[in-house]
Amino acid sequence: MSGFAEMVAATNFSFLRGASHPADLVAQAIALEQAGIGIADRNSVAGVVRAYDALKQAREKRRAELFEEVEFKLAVGARLVFADDTPDIVAYPADRTGWGRLCRLLTLGKARAQKGDCTLYLDDLLAHKEGLLLILVPPEEEEAAAPVLERLAAVSPGAVWLAATMRYRGDDRRRLARLKRLAETQGVPLLATNDVLYHAPEQRPLQDILTCIREKCTIDEAGRRLEANAERHLKAPAEMARLFRDVPEAVAESRRLLDRIAFSLEQLTYEYPHEPVPPGWAPQDWLEELVRRRLPWRYPEGTPKKVLKLLKEEFTLIRDRNYARYFLTVHDLVRFAEKKAILNQGRGSAANSAVCYILGITAVDPMRFDLLFSRFVSEERNEPPDIDVDFEHERREEVIQHIYERYGRHRAGIAATVIHYRARSAVRDVGKALGLSEDVTARLADTIWGSWGSAVDDRKAQEAGMDADNPTIRRLIDLSSKLLTFPRHLSQHVGGFVLTEGRLDETVPIGNAAMDDRTFIEWDKDDIDALGLMKVDVLALGMLTCIRKAFDLMRLHRLGDYALATIPAEESVVYDMLCKGDSIGVFQVESRAQINMLPRLAPRKFYDLVIQVAIVRPGPIEGDMVHPYLRRRAKREKVDYPAPAPEHGPPDELIGVLGKTEGVPLFQEQAMKLAIVAAKFTPAEANQLRRAMATFRHLGNIEEFRVKMVEGMVMRGYERDFAERCFRQIEGFGSYGFPESHAASFAQLVYISAWIKCRHPAVFACALLNAQPMGFYAPAQIVRDARAHGVDVRAIDVNASAWDNAIERDGGCDPALRLGLRQIDGFRRKWADSMDAARRAGAFATIEALARRAALPQRALRLLADADAFRSIGLDRRQALWEVRRTPDAELPLFAAARARELGEETDTALPTMPLSEHVATDYQMTRLSLKAHPVTFLRPFLDAEGVSSCAAIGKARNGAAVCAAGIVLIRQRPGKGNAVFVTLEDETGITNIVLWARLFELFRRPVMSARLMLVEGQVQRSPEGVVHVMATRIHDRTRLLDHLVDGEEISPPRRLAGHPRNVRILPASRDFH
Amino acid sequence: MRLAAVDAAAQALGLAPGLALADARARLPDLVVVDHDPEADLRLLERIADICDRYTPMVALDPPDGLVLDISGCAHLFGGEAGLIADWEALAAHLGLRVRPAPAATPEAAQALARFQTVPAPDEQAALRRLPVAALRLSGETVLALRRAGLKTIGDLAARASAPLSARFGEKTTATLARLLGMRDSRIVPRRPLPALIVERRFAEPIARVEQVLTCLDDMSAEAGRALEAREAGGRRFAARLFRSDGAWRDLRVETGLPTRDPTVLARLFRERIEALADPLDPGFGFDLIRFAVPVIEPLAPSQLRLEGGALAEGELAALLDRLGTRLGRGRFRRFRPRDTHVPEQAALALPAVIAAAPVAWPRPKAGEPPLRPLHLFDPPQSIEVMAEVPDGPPHRFRWRRAMHEVTRYEGPERLAAEWWRRDDGTPGLTRDYYRVEDVRGRRFWIFRHGLYGSEAEHPGWYMHGLFA
Repeated sequence: MSGFAEMVAATNFSFLRGASHPADLVAQAIALEQAGIGIADRNSVAGVVRAYDALKQAREKRRAELFEEVEFKLAVGARLVFADDTPDIVAYPADRTGWGRLCRLLTLGKARAQKGDCTLYLDDLLAHKEGLLLILVPPEEEEAAAPVLERLAAVSPGAVWLAATMRYRGDDRRRLARLKRLAETQGVPLLATNDVLYHAPEQRPLQDILTCIREKCTIDEAGRRLEANAERHLKAPAEMARLFRDVPEAVAESRRLLDRIAFSLEQLTYEYPHEPVPPGWAPQDWLEELVRRRLPWRYPEGTPKKVLKLLKEEFTLIRDRNYARYFLTVHDLVRFAEKKAILNQGRGSAANSAVCYILGITAVDPMRFDLLFSRFVSEERNEPPDIDVDFEHERREEVIQHIYERYGRHRAGIAATVIHYRARSAVRDVGKALGLSEDVTARLADTIWGSWGSAVDDRKAQEAGMDADNPTIRRLIDLSSKLLTFPRHLSQHVGGFVLTEGRLDETVPIGNAAMDDRTFIEWDKDDIDALGLMKVDVLALGMLTCIRKAFDLMRLHRLGDYALATIPAEESVVYDMLCKGDSIGVFQVESRAQINMLPRLAPRKFYDLVIQVAIVRPGPIEGDMVHPYLRRRAKREKVDYPAPAPEHGPPDELIGVLGKTEGVPLFQEQAMKLAIVAAKFTPAEANQLRRAMATFRHLGNIEEFRVKMVEGMVMRGYERDFAERCFRQIEGFGSYGFPESHAASFAQLVYISAWIKCRHPAVFACALLNAQPMGFYAPAQIVRDARAHGVDVRAIDVNASAWDNAIERDGGCDPALRLGLRQIDGFRRKWADSMDAARRAGAFATIEALARRAALPQRALRLLADADAFRSIGLDRRQALWEVRRTPDAELPLFAAARARELGEETDTALPTMPLSEHVATDYQMTRLSLKAHPVTFLRPFLDAEGVSSCAAIGKARNGAAVCAAGIVLIRQRPGKGNAVFVTLEDETGITNIVLWARLFELFRRPVMSARLMLVEGQVQRSPEGVVHVMATRIHDRTRLLDHLVDGEEISPPRRLAGHPRNVRILPASRDFH
Repeated sequence: MRLAAVDAAAQALGLAPGLALADARARLPDLVVVDHDPEADLRLLERIADICDRYTPMVALDPPDGLVLDISGCAHLFGGEAGLIADWEALAAHLGLRVRPAPAATPEAAQALARFQTVPAPDEQAALRRLPVAALRLSGETVLALRRAGLKTIGDLAARASAPLSARFGEKTTATLARLLGMRDSRIVPRRPLPALIVERRFAEPIARVEQVLTCLDDMSAEAGRALEAREAGGRRFAARLFRSDGAWRDLRVETGLPTRDPTVLARLFRERIEALADPLDPGFGFDLIRFAVPVIEPLAPSQLRLEGGALAEGELAALLDRLGTRLGRGRFRRFRPRDTHVPEQAALALPAVIAAAPVAWPRPKAGEPPLRPLHLFDPPQSIEVMAEVPDGPPHRFRWRRAMHEVTRYEGPERLAAEWWRRDDGTPGLTRDYYRVEDVRGRRFWIFRHGLYGSEAEHPGWYMHGLFA
């Protein structure tokens, strides 16, 4: 073991300063045979777990390859940067107490500052000094450090060092002598260090660029803000000894300091919070007791034997692994939501257990579905089980605030998400720093690395018309590729909570999030995994809001009283509906791709839905597993199982893995299991593979895994093609890994939402509209679909509509859907509520009465008139508008009454009648939908002249027929690899799906991207299941025709094309003037 | 980011202002985009307004893209409205501008017709009535409400009683309508106040010789002088604008310390001004209009000069620079400015003194510390032969200008890496290790090793870069 350890090293978690990954620093320090390394980032410990993990892996690798131990010690700490004039101080915890102090110190600084910042003063450090070893990094004028050094030495005797660096500034030796004197005067040892910013000198250009980005200047302007040389890298012990030959004791001191550090991240043991367990109970007993108590609720007719047997197994497993507290913690949350009537559902591997079902965490009945619980704990990874709980998206915040309240902010925090550079931002920032004009960078960033790509490479630069041999472009590409892997800042995870029994802020620093009332810790979910902390995901799901609203409506209108688990199961009418691809609004299976898949997969039972949810995903698609599965399911192909050569194993080794899915791997678990069974990965390796995939973009090298898996399978006699497809599938899972357990929970919601849609279409549409924004479709499509299912949809009216859309049942008829005032763009809830209150005293007979009684301002009245909501008073849109505009704002009744007469005396102005087409256009402008007619109806004569067939006609056309389709563009998508562009057109008769190959897309890019009203020439393609597409050959933009809707008015100005399809406006908003 | 304006080609491809840039790029990946610069647009508009000064001094800006000219009483000079418009169109075409001129009885009508007229009409009133209500240039909300009420043209509005209209759409709507239709008086506010005194000369045959221009200016100053005399005033500033027949113009400005109206003084000043012009007065095809204006007039009452004269302490250097600059040329004398860089030979920049006039603080060495940079730098550094330790040890002796120097004392190295971003070959460049050394005779030198031993160069070269005092 050598005589030197670098104790002051910054990683790239010292944002825009450090220019190396923690893992690279650790690897380099090991390679240089240093005794250890101290990782200290600016007021942060965000990067230390990665260093810790890297060291762990390096040890494993060395052990496996060379049967040696790595003698190396990792010290983790932080470089404290102060808001007063105090020079930087690097702090390392000597023991667990010290770590707690450091975390609390950083938490304190973060609480004071805005998101991402940390405001510390020297007094804070002095108050938290216990257990901390401190290295003072002297400033430029080293004498300035003397008073601080004196103070530190006095309060922390024996735990203070003075850092000395050889900076190659000409006066190094004189400075060293001065520092030595200073250290001797204060009785503090001198510590040799290189104040490291990167692991190797090659990183200097990147570090310079980071400096420029930080200082917001170009590299030409940066001047002496840049480092003068490339010396701030890790150096070999011998080199350090040579540099510090004047003070050899300073080099040796690094070892002494390292030896003083007895803290390692391993010491962070996790303890579940105790709240969920009542005093006097052991967690396991309490869990079993809870389950026992709730059994009659789930199984009123007595618990089936199978369930009892399952429970017994699960209890044993939970007891062995000591997971009771985890289940209790999740249960506690779910119980709170239940009490508040917030709908929720658990998912994740552990969620599909009998215990979870009985505790009400999930609604997936283990009696009906054969989901193996033991799968939840992969034996090899001794990680806590995983349950994500989805809550209604409108009410999740209540749950989050409840967690803070129950456990306290010092014990509960949201996990961090490390936000990495994206291709676009990396190119832009590097380009700016290199002094390239905004135009060049934007060109590269926007058009080349736009929405559909992520890697930065030469070919793309050439496509953009950039010369990749030009040195500046070359640098831009090189440096942006490197920067791409760098963290940019920390943000809060969508809902991963870490809860502890002890103080969480003594385990990890907690900081403020950008959102009010949120705090998050410095570590992300991989870090939490690596340290074995427990996380509960508290997520938001729009469909749960919709389902809860549907349940409420059904209760209110006596259509039945249901809960997630009590929806009648396996009703064949529901599957009939889904098989037809009739699934607009249904959870998960409403996208175009899913709708097309439904008739082909033809789900008839719950497990089919589980597959349906999982199959239209990047994993199975990239792995080319979809078609084999469909063929086998349709019995058009024999189900066989890939097998190894006889000498390598039994031919049926994969039956256990692929049995449920006709021999085709579809779920993430199956792919991982394949790696273990067929390619003989160790479980630990499979787990590494999974994690490498999840963070694929950041960590890079997966080639190693590919070779290992593919060659491993080929060597054992599997076909190469199958092996490669399996690996591609795993790649495809990437960050969208979709395990069976998730699919099962989702499938449950698919079934429930489909059931509501099938049985109560009016209620479903109503709930869906009231839960907006959510789902895939705009209100117009939801309403249209409801009408297609025979729902009577009624227009917005001042005498009938409340804020929410509502169900009207007059005299036991079928429920009708009354559109609510929330559908009017710009209308406010408080206006609607005061209308509602005023209406209880009787209907409004005139506009003035409405204005007066509901105290509506002029603006509200105008919106109502424009939305044509005065029909019940006998005024159409134009008349109402004419009336409204002279109605004064709400005022004192006395004056209003006096004025009313005055207003009455006006001669008839005889406005021209508004044509229907203009009504429709205005309806779309105000509410994005019209019940009066479809806009294309009015354009039919023009379209007929062009030989356009209606969508209905195209739906009936024979396969291969040449057709001309036209309609309003609902959706335009370029999924996955972007080989094809999908466009959905709508006319008054229905919708048509257009497929356009990427090659043609480049040809017709302009009309495809700009048309609101599109005309497509192409051929009908009809699949055996009756799914119809038009394969486009030519595309035309007919948007101008829309101007015919409103006489003399141009209603086809540009619009924002990107964004979610449900936000797409068919006609521009009324105030969209530019 | 949204498009602020598009050219004809982009318009033809369906782009329009207001479209999000990302969407525009999605449609046309090779779209050429430049940043919107409203100030530059305004400057252009002002320049065009300047050009239009030739027709009338009453020019008002109608940003972002319009000008309103009050040509009452001016048009006959160009052969009537049609002649003026033809003249302007020819001039604008020459300047590369596409314009839509429209003459009308009121400024509002002209603005509306220029922007919204698409179909020809027999007379101005009929044309106005055919315009869409948007021509009123009211808020988008009002225009939309008018259209939703079925009132789509100016004619629809004009046919109605104004009381119900103003009750619903505001007084402003009816007032604007009245002004547009010429039923209410309306004037433009010219963009600059008219000068106190203007004298103009128009030439049927453009004058092309500077001598003629001067004669003309003499003549005009005399005329202005007489007018000033009548007002018992004198001018402090005098401006002559020479309009060239192709739309360009030149301004000549003269300022005096005291009010004056003496034509001989003015004539001399203008003559000097013309002679002092950096680029000579280019008449091109000749000037067809000269306007002589006196923007600032003061009573011409003699006042006593102060005996002691003004103190010039602060301005003295500037005055000296001005004098030297006038005599020797601006670029002839320079002044050093510090530049923020690690590269020693680039750390000082010699700039023309007129640019670098203000004194700047130079970094000072720390008190008690020796200077790290020499007084004299060699450009380029001179190659020397050196005996030194590897890898980065100090030199023991070196040969410079054929003389051997024994190093007795040294300090260093100071390591300066090359500026990798300036290099065309893509390599990071060689690092320099600088030493301050002293030889046996006490002379101090600044020498460097070029390239790090081993990693950058096998046998790094050595150079003499400077001498200390």
